[in-house]
Amino acid sequence: MRYPARILLPALTGAGLLHAALITDLYLRYVKAGLRPLLIGSGAVLLLLALTAATTRTGRRPAEHGRPAEHGRPAEHAGADDQEHADGDGHEHADGDGHAYGDGRGHTDADGHGHADGHGLGYADLGGPADGHGPADGHGHDHTGTPRVAWLLLLPALSLLCYAPPALGAYTAARANDKTVAVQRGFAPLPTASPLPLTLTEFTKRVRQDRSRAVAGRTVRLTGFVTPAGRDGGWYLTRIVFSCCAADSQTVRVRMYGRPAPPADTWLAVTGTWHPRGALGTRTAQAALDVRDARPIAPPVNAYTDDLPLTPS
Amino acid sequence: METTDDRAGAARCVTAVSSGPPVRRIRSRPFGVRPWLPGAALLSAAVLVAVGTRWLEHPAVQAWRTVCLAITLQALPFLLLGTALSGAINAFVPAGLFTRVLPKRPALAVPVAGAAGAVLPGCECASVPVASSLIRRGVPPAAAFAFLLSAPAVNPVVLTATAVAFPDNPAMVAARLLASLTTAAVMGWLWLWLGKEEWLRPLLRHRATGHRPGHSRRTEFRLGFQHDFLHAGGFLVLGAMAAATFNVTVPGAVLDAFSGSPWLSVPFLAGLAVLLAVCSEADAFVAASLTGFSPTARLAFLVVGPMVDLKLFALQAGTFGRAFAWRFCTATTVVAVAAGVLTGAALW
Repeated sequence: MRYPARILLPALTGAGLLHAALITDLYLRYVKAGLRPLLIGSGAVLLLLALTAATTRTGRRPAEHGRPAEHGRPAEHAGADDQEHADGDGHEHADGDGHAYGDGRGHTDADGHGHADGHGLGYADLGGPADGHGPADGHGHDHTGTPRVAWLLLLPALSLLCYAPPALGAYTAARANDKTVAVQRGFAPLPTASPLPLTLTEFTKRVRQDRSRAVAGRTVRLTGFVTPAGRDGGWYLTRIVFSCCAADSQTVRVRMYGRPAPPADTWLAVTGTWHPRGALGTRTAQAALDVRDARPIAPPVNAYTDDLPLTPS
Repeated sequence: METTDDRAGAARCVTAVSSGPPVRRIRSRPFGVRPWLPGAALLSAAVLVAVGTRWLEHPAVQAWRTVCLAITLQALPFLLLGTALSGAINAFVPAGLFTRVLPKRPALAVPVAGAAGAVLPGCECASVPVASSLIRRGVPPAAAFAFLLSAPAVNPVVLTATAVAFPDNPAMVAARLLASLTTAAVMGWLWLWLGKEEWLRPLLRHRATGHRPGHSRRTEFRLGFQHDFLHAGGFLVLGAMAAATFNVTVPGAVLDAFSGSPWLSVPFLAGLAVLLAVCSEADAFVAASLTGFSPTARLAFLVVGPMVDLKLFALQAGTFGRAFAWRFCTATTVVAVAAGVLTGAALW
């Protein structure tokens, strides 16, 4: 079970990383685009690790690490002292990561973990006279065992390979805190195109900060996904933005009026005009839109930006 | 030389163990390592097939899986870097190099090691395996822990991110640097004063691993790297699962409830840093978004975050032992909050 694990776990993890970052764009659902080279590099290193583990297994392994002769040894040395501790500390060794040595405990536990994983190394130190062999045969850091906790790596690996969860959506957007819109001094004149494509952040800035009220009366087009706004049947057009990975997500949202709420998580391109509430160009203005037209669009490849040029996958 | 060290180390361990009452021992078994585990996995897979996978499509579960995977992916390259570095230190760095470079007195070695943390450009996941390999190479644990705490907080990448996240408040970078270094040094000295080696896993108590004569250094590097990665990777997934649970279940609105009170906001943001487990390269942006909170509370978030959080706790418990991890994390949280509050009081 150990040797396959040492090959299987790095291989699957590496394959998962390469699948998500090199072959597909899955990684963009979870982290920033800038992490791609690191992910590909990590995937390659892990595959290499698995490959070397697989090739050296048949070659040098037995000579270096298989020491069947030592397996019986600990029992011989389990003295009275050790017996006393036996019940409580099989656990020390049961973690199966090959570090069990030196303290002479746990060898008497019924399930025999201390031995099963080839941990016998170095116990012989306890035996006093016999320990001439100890350090010489690599008694220090025994790397032969696969820590059982490592099996948890299977979850992200298989998840990436076969069952990748979608990018964060309305569920998170309804709960995450709002991204603060930076204060901008001085606004350039708006382009004359109509409808005018704007990001949610730009629209919010124009509505709440632009004293020249350039957005007044203009038809704009915003893109984002639908997040229901609680019980009153209202809804927001939202984007989730993060700075590092999906764990630190923040929401940008614009309230929509004049249309019943589409199903949550639907990606839309919405055209409309500012919904007059509060004084335009001041903080009392609400970032809201009277919807004139809303048409579904394909979700963008990278959903976690508030950018204009939308590139459907 | 190493032979005698080995024997002495082993002997120490044995004495330490046999002198105490048997029940005193703290179970340091990491989570989920029983022999029936594969059976349980098969069983749960069978249940999954029987019950169906509909619940996996629930938005909350999907968000949980996404966040969990995001934390794992974000951390994996850095964890790989850290474990490769740790394997290299074990296999290629001559024994005694670190002891020659560091000041002889541990009390002096602590701040030096803390300042040396500035050279490891990564987040907290990389520093845990490196600190463990430093201890195995003979660095006093107190100095290695100072390095462990300071490295993710004071390296250039993180400080630059902090400066970018707080464009209007350059003092935040200085405050973070100062408070983090102070915390790291105080924790090192605290370990010298109160720390007990038996809290550490036997492997670390017994300091003579690394290169063995007659063995190929490259093979040693590969085996060490492989083992450390598998080990730390498993704990990373465990920590990511815990952090994702809090991330998904704690709604952002809870934040606003605490932002008003200056006394509650500091411990609240410190606690949030522990639960959210945001990577230290990103936490400045999260702190910048917590606009309702005082600068001192946000500083506490920035100081505690890289030093203590759920995934770090899992990593430390796996690397150093659980007996160590909970004591160390508790003490670090207290010291880090104190350092943050004092620095904040001095600056703002």
